Amino acid sequence: MTSKNAGSALLAKDDYRAVNALLSAYCRCLDTDKLEAWPDFFVADGLYKVLSRENVELGLPAPLVYYYSRGMMQDRVTAIRDALTYEPVYTRHLTSGLHVEPDNAAPDAAAFVARSDFAIYQTTEEGVTRLFSVGEYQDRIVRDGDTLRFAERTVVMDSFGVQNLIAIPL
Amino acid sequence: MSRVVDRLWPSQDFSQTPYWAFRDDELYRAEGERLFRGPHWNYLCVEAEIPNAGDYVVGYVGETQVVINRLENGDVTAFINSCAHRGAQLVRNLRGNSLSHTCAYHQWCFDLDGSLLGVPQQRGVKGCGGMPKTFDKGAHGLHRLRVTRYKGLVFGTFSDETAPFADYVGPELIAQIDRIFDRPIKLLGYYRQRVDANWKLYLENVKDPYHAGLLHLFHVTFGIYRPTMSGKVLMDKTHGSSVLRTADIDENQAEVDAIYSDSAKYRPDYSLRDPSLFDVKPDYPDRVTNMIMTIFPNLMLGQVANTFQIRHVRPKGRRAFELYWTYFGFADDDDVAIEGKLRQSNFVGPAGYISLEDGEAGRLVQNGVEARPDGDCSTIQMGGLGPIGDQDTLATEVAVRGFWEHYTRSMGIAVPGTGQ
Repeated sequence: MTSKNAGSALLAKDDYRAVNALLSAYCRCLDTDKLEAWPDFFVADGLYKVLSRENVELGLPAPLVYYYSRGMMQDRVTAIRDALTYEPVYTRHLTSGLHVEPDNAAPDAAAFVARSDFAIYQTTEEGVTRLFSVGEYQDRIVRDGDTLRFAERTVVMDSFGVQNLIAIPL
Repeated sequence: MSRVVDRLWPSQDFSQTPYWAFRDDELYRAEGERLFRGPHWNYLCVEAEIPNAGDYVVGYVGETQVVINRLENGDVTAFINSCAHRGAQLVRNLRGNSLSHTCAYHQWCFDLDGSLLGVPQQRGVKGCGGMPKTFDKGAHGLHRLRVTRYKGLVFGTFSDETAPFADYVGPELIAQIDRIFDRPIKLLGYYRQRVDANWKLYLENVKDPYHAGLLHLFHVTFGIYRPTMSGKVLMDKTHGSSVLRTADIDENQAEVDAIYSDSAKYRPDYSLRDPSLFDVKPDYPDRVTNMIMTIFPNLMLGQVANTFQIRHVRPKGRRAFELYWTYFGFADDDDVAIEGKLRQSNFVGPAGYISLEDGEAGRLVQNGVEARPDGDCSTIQMGGLGPIGDQDTLATEVAVRGFWEHYTRSMGIAVPGTGQ
């Protein structure tokens, strides 16, 4: 059984592992400050949204971040590197509770929908760590050549009372 | 007015702010009394949040939590969110609908006017106990605020002396409110930012067009804001409220390059890979790209490109505030216009290209001044010294001086040389 079987409710172990590896690589990319590689986790017309759980529950559409192309993500990286003023911190993403299903809405492509929980810690230059944000990743993942990429990654923040600001992608 | 602090303000034209203004505990407590319970209009909510009878939202006046209600007759009332009995928080959700409010602790029940409707066991149980015969429900209502509404904005005050709203903000600001709220708004969402800084640092920030072209490179590079643009700073007659306005007229690129020739941060070569963020039709024909209004003491409302926001600066102790954003479009916006506003939300809010840096500016100043010696002061001279008045330039900090003028007057802080 593979994920290419249209309509399958079951997921191959290899697919679960592949999705899990994508999620881990994404976190490692951000936590090791390899931001230039971040847009490549998405397909060219990928969607990256950060939403406040408050707005989601109220049915209000305003996003905290709304990028609908890899170009917009690259622009964010350039701005982070060259323009934006923010507190320098190390980040650490912890994720758990990964749930993956085949994306039955896209029967022809190998595609998955995934949900996972995250906690992001920030550590200052003086080595003091604080919990920055917790929430959920809601993903649509597709096979792009021989690699998996996000067609859509929606970050729903429980911590919508944002501690100061969000500079680096979540 | 009795003095809230023994200290004297160091500058009679408000070109210096003493750093104790951002860190003095006694001063912070006095702000609760003199500003937030004083003769000022405090922002409560927008009417669009409470369209139907029984709708309520919880807001803040200073650190005091208040409930704002829509009555069946269409009126809006507000009272402190604290039971008349033993003071428990009365309403426990931030938003909802209810034609009465019942305290969880002893089930005392209040109508939307704040009047006490019912007291369980008022006559006792089995002939024993109960409230005294002298107990008068009419004398035990909730602590109400006076409420006023203007073009869908709702304000409240604890004082009987607060001037009518139109007089309070004055004709210059009213004209700017009318420009934006000329049609019903449509709520698009909320943002919340917790900043480790005194709330007044945010007010200084949004009254200061000088920083906007220097801290916010993104702003400058893409023409939302440049100091070479046609710009104005207006104030009300107290100088406590202000408008900063920029329009993309009367400037040319050579002037922009000259102004930034000594700035390493300005990058004329910087271009976006995906500029569709800017591909949004203007909402008004007047080419105003930025309109930042502040209403004394702690409200900002305005426009950045196609985004429209109310930012309520909610103090949370002397060195923290929540910036509570209400992000809106207009009821007659079509899907394309709404999509444009959602795209441009990338400019504003806690993650926005422009706004994220203002939270950081507050944090940097608080960190910087927290342990400065007591006599140290900031320098606020951009735009000149002397009398405070409107200016047709963006290279100015005059509205920051105006804020401190009205702040010290409202707080009863002595300013030598001014008779205050």
